[in-house]
Amino acid sequence: MLVGLSMALIAGSFLSLQNIFNTKVNEHTGSWAATTLILGMGFIASLIIGFIVEGGDLLVFQNMKTWYWFSGFIGVGVVTCLIQGIKLLGPTYAISIVLTSQLCFALLWDSLGWLGLEQVPFSLQKLLGVLIIIGGIIVFKFGGERVAVK
Amino acid sequence: MKGILFAIIGGAFITLQGVANAQISQDIGTWQTATVTQFTGFMVALLIVLIVRDGKWQKFKQVKPLYLTGGAFAAVIIFGNITAIHQIGVTLTISAILIAQLSFTFMIDINGWFGVVKKQMKLPQFIGMGMMVAGVVILGL
Repeated sequence: MLVGLSMALIAGSFLSLQNIFNTKVNEHTGSWAATTLILGMGFIASLIIGFIVEGGDLLVFQNMKTWYWFSGFIGVGVVTCLIQGIKLLGPTYAISIVLTSQLCFALLWDSLGWLGLEQVPFSLQKLLGVLIIIGGIIVFKFGGERVAVK
Repeated sequence: MKGILFAIIGGAFITLQGVANAQISQDIGTWQTATVTQFTGFMVALLIVLIVRDGKWQKFKQVKPLYLTGGAFAAVIIFGNITAIHQIGVTLTISAILIAQLSFTFMIDINGWFGVVKKQMKLPQFIGMGMMVAGVVILGL
């Protein structure tokens, strides 16, 4: 439990850092050029760390199923949808919906146990937790102007 | 309406990505999963860039080199995400990631790190953060 939670917190911190860095890249280059660079960097970093951790075993793909080769395409879908959503709605509104949607689908996934994940039974308590988090997102994002300090 | 649809599908894709990675990692290992998915994603993006030609590569030089490395964090992010999903389930993982992400962004905003415009946080932001943490505690009970 604690290991899982810390892993998620570390991932989240790096994600916010990555978002800021990526936005800076995006400001100068086209969004597809930026996406290509970002995924390329991620590939190189994973390859290097993977080699350090697992050695040559990293490139043994015995249990590879065909669809595994295509799952990386989801990332391209993520980038397209986020860029379009932010362009049409503005960042605050768009990101609030993205986060809400993420949580709702997560709850759905846990409850149904799709794609071979262990099913985590649905409960009213879980729904309550998710609803409070969504409420928090709305208060955080829309609660009063966050004044820029000069 | 179109924007809302994009945002909803985008969020669904983010969750799907984590779940798919968690599933794949059971067969081929976590680091292999990160490497393969980033590689295939990179190839598709590269293909698109060559077709739509918005790649003004020389413009990368205008970006501070540090910011170009942001993508590399994906290695840690994917590893953390997969490990967490296996241990605590999708809902709790996404919730915890979300809180860490918003808190860290919050700190960066307050302090104006990385050349971000400094922003003052008001009571609603603190209440919102408190509600999110409370929600995660309820999920984790």
